[in-house]
Amino acid sequence: MADVGQLSTGLRRGTLEFCVLAMVENEDRYGTEIVRRFGEEPNLAASEGTIYPLLSRLRRGGWLDSKWAESPAGPPRRYYGLTPAGRSALEHFRTEWVSFRQTVDRLVGTGEAA
Amino acid sequence: MNTKHADVVAEYLHEVDLRLSGLPVLQRRELLADLAAHIATERTERNIQTEGELIEVLERLGTPEVVAAAAYEEAGAYPPVPTARGRRRAWPWLPAAIGGAVVLFVVVLCGALAVGHKVGSVERSPVPGPVVSANPGR
Repeated sequence: MADVGQLSTGLRRGTLEFCVLAMVENEDRYGTEIVRRFGEEPNLAASEGTIYPLLSRLRRGGWLDSKWAESPAGPPRRYYGLTPAGRSALEHFRTEWVSFRQTVDRLVGTGEAA
Repeated sequence: MNTKHADVVAEYLHEVDLRLSGLPVLQRRELLADLAAHIATERTERNIQTEGELIEVLERLGTPEVVAAAAYEEAGAYPPVPTARGRRRAWPWLPAAIGGAVVLFVVVLCGALAVGHKVGSVERSPVPGPVVSANPGR
């Protein structure tokens, strides 16, 4: 049945996008910057190229906006920032995530109290 | 830009593009532009000189299959079925069956109208049809 790879894929699905939103919460970041940041996280490691379709979906869904800008040296960069809708989605996720995590911890026995 | 390096990048982007035929054209172009910008940025910011280093950048991006699969998943679309055999209709006989049914319906309808017309003529006829004998015990 589900192997380890499928488990982490399943866990990433639905949470990774909020990690992206949080990454641009306080300042706009360009695509390669976001992708590199994910590359540094062993638990989130996915092929870098798969982040761009995710950014596209978040933009089309109205949670991110983007603009191309010249870089000091080198090719133009596409900067992503949080929209008001994205900001409230992130806030909502934070609330949901805490109670979700607590429930899973309690049921699976991974909580500190367990 | 080194021509050979450009070839490696162009080939990679082409391979991705080939697999995106099931996506709306703007999403397809957006992804290719994002990937091209990513590669260009990496080359500049990491000061990439050799083809080996460039290939590492492409490997970190993922194979064209992996990138395209993510694009379809995020777009909520299904990748096109890759082979001509697989692209066949689920029910190849369906159009023929519908055509046949329509023809059959028209034929039956015409027949029914003709019979109805004939029956009407008979009913209106002053000459009664053969009367069934009322004495079956003949």
